[in-house]
Amino acid sequence: MPVRAADLAEVWADIADTRIVEAQAAFKAAAPADPRERALAGALFVLARPPLTEAGIATVATTCTELARGDDELAALALYLSARVVQVHRLSPDYPQAASLYRELARRHPQSHWAQLGLVKLGLLTLHALPEPADAAARVAAAGTLLTGITEPALQRDLHLQIGAAAVLSGLPVDTALPHLIAADMVGGLLGLVGEDLVIQIGELSLRAGHREQGIAYLQRFLRDFPTNTRRYNIEQRLAEVGASRAPEGAP
Amino acid sequence: MSQGPIRRYPGWALLAAAFLGSVFWVFTRSVPLGDDRPVTLRIAHWQIEQGPPEGIDAVIKRYEELNPRVRVKQVRIPATVYRQWLRANFSGGIAPDIVEYGAWLDGLADFPARYFEPMTTELMEPNPHNAGTPLAGRPWIKTFVDELLEQRLNSPEPGQYYAVNLTRGSVRLFCNRELLREIAGTEVPPRTLIELRQVFARTTERARRTGQPLHALAGSRDNAMWLMEYYMGGLMIRRARSLDLEGVHGVYPRHIQRAYLEGSWHFADPELQAGLAVLQDFARQMRPGFLQLGRDEAVREFLSGEALFIFAGTWDATTLRRSAPFTVAALRLPQATRDDPVVGSQVMGPFSDGDNSTSFGFYLNRRGPNRATAVDFLRFLTSYEGSRIFSANSGWVSGIAEVPVPPELAAHLSPGDGYSYGANFIFAGPHLRMAFERNLHQLVGPQGTVESMASVLEAEAPAAVRADLRIEQRTANVVVLPQDARIAALGHWMATTEAGVAARLRLERLEAAQTQSEARALMIGRWLQAAEAAGPK
Repeated sequence: MPVRAADLAEVWADIADTRIVEAQAAFKAAAPADPRERALAGALFVLARPPLTEAGIATVATTCTELARGDDELAALALYLSARVVQVHRLSPDYPQAASLYRELARRHPQSHWAQLGLVKLGLLTLHALPEPADAAARVAAAGTLLTGITEPALQRDLHLQIGAAAVLSGLPVDTALPHLIAADMVGGLLGLVGEDLVIQIGELSLRAGHREQGIAYLQRFLRDFPTNTRRYNIEQRLAEVGASRAPEGAP
Repeated sequence: MSQGPIRRYPGWALLAAAFLGSVFWVFTRSVPLGDDRPVTLRIAHWQIEQGPPEGIDAVIKRYEELNPRVRVKQVRIPATVYRQWLRANFSGGIAPDIVEYGAWLDGLADFPARYFEPMTTELMEPNPHNAGTPLAGRPWIKTFVDELLEQRLNSPEPGQYYAVNLTRGSVRLFCNRELLREIAGTEVPPRTLIELRQVFARTTERARRTGQPLHALAGSRDNAMWLMEYYMGGLMIRRARSLDLEGVHGVYPRHIQRAYLEGSWHFADPELQAGLAVLQDFARQMRPGFLQLGRDEAVREFLSGEALFIFAGTWDATTLRRSAPFTVAALRLPQATRDDPVVGSQVMGPFSDGDNSTSFGFYLNRRGPNRATAVDFLRFLTSYEGSRIFSANSGWVSGIAEVPVPPELAAHLSPGDGYSYGANFIFAGPHLRMAFERNLHQLVGPQGTVESMASVLEAEAPAAVRADLRIEQRTANVVVLPQDARIAALGHWMATTEAGVAARLRLERLEAAQTQSEARALMIGRWLQAAEAAGPK
């Protein structure tokens, strides 16, 4: 009798921790398991050791195509992985085909986490890789429409952040980027220097766009929240340039 | 006269003496061949200059006193072979329990995710070795003065901490104080670039007058490059600010590279030329042929009293202090000011000469057999007591908060009173850096000029910058590729079990990190396409 998916829990945990040797040992010890689970594990063992050979790519692609025929969350994951193989694991990526697979995923499994993550990836392709639309403003607008299909806040945040960054680096008006950056900040949870950069960025771009009070508030927040960042002097000087103090009036 | 037994049988006599000596040694001096401590930890690093090895040895000695079951062995590997050594040892499964690593080490970007074990959970808890100290009860991560800034910047998985750092430092102009008094008539160090040039002139004059070998600056290719990095970073702040499209008050190498390919800056720009002029000026204070010499030669020149100053990182301070027969003072290198007659027009303000972020990072081998003991040793090494021991014995400033900075080391720290933009245009990538180093003679050689250097760089930079951008793109992809399997496994596991909040947060972080790297790789790809379409620059 096939074991339940949870019986492969150790395998999934080990792969997530990049312990592939241990994962394979756990996989052997856990047999027999559901054939689809086993097939997924086999594909992940190959994916976990990039760069993939042509044979490895063919193996993963075949497995994922087969698994994606189902109608459950595992099928959605398999379709997502099919798109990933085409987009990032092939030596020569095929961005239009990957985009097509992400769209199919969103159409077939709109509530799935993998479909929503796929929309984030489709957003990146739209912003930076697909030939159409060619115009920067149109690319940013097209990526923005994908947000309506994403309900998970963390994924919304990730796409907002990338749309904002692309708008700024494309030289579009700052007010095109700011709403996306502020939306990303409001979701929160960004770790590493990205979160610290974002607060400075909203502050500085707000100042450039003429939103003085908003800009000052964000830069003051940066000084308050990130005492160990090495750009504190830069920000203190910037606040002085616009005639503001380091902390809000009346702040302790 | 009859011979004594020693003269008659010298071979036997020698044998007997050796035997008696051996008996004496065995009973009085020797230690067992086998180790009576069941746990052996190995810790490897490349900081083999004077100071750090002694500091770590002292910490090990104290740790072994407290832990009779544990033996800790320090493995010192020269920096020149460290990368190869690290790769070979981890590939072969024989790497030490704890190793030094840096995200900037070329060709090792896969290491943290593949071979190292995060210490995030432990870092969120108090360090037990801090009990009874000013750091008692404080989460381990909050005991580092910068809360491990470098990990926030470079961790392959945002939110995960893979290393603990031991020290912090800066770049300094080390000075032979007695010689300065003789030359300048005062021990008061020069405070501006103008005053520094005056000291240079007096030094040259003294050398001419006495006929003794004497230069203002100890010379080597390494020291010249550090100088270049320092001044160029400072003089390019205004330009960096103009290129900061993102508004993050800093520029990353990829932005400098993109801006170059788009024609937003050139080597003929006045700021760049000002930086080159400063380097040329400083190079003239070094001995002829310095481009052929390494940093050790510069140190020897300074220690022998043939150079008044040496510009170096504080990593060299202990070697200088312990070896010099004179008083070594660590000075802040005077910066160009707005009234400087040569480069003043390019000056925006003071720039950072040490940001107090911590370094000398130690990582945990995820396949090490003694994880718990290794973590405990790292806790001790970075505890209040361990850090004091390390600092006192190494001459390096501790990276741990509240640990007193010895008075002689206080000058190694900067108060955060300058701009920090990361504006190192010349060194924005390895290929551009190599082009600069390869052609340095065009600037500082006998026939060198600022114009010829700028002209050569302008010719070589387009290909170099493209190659550097491709490296940035590849590096971002290296981070992206293995994450698919991790994300899929974690997400599938969550879908099939009762996963908690921690697992959901972890998945979000992995996905966010991958999306950021992926966006970067794709964006760079578009920039490169645009550069190709625009044709040769």
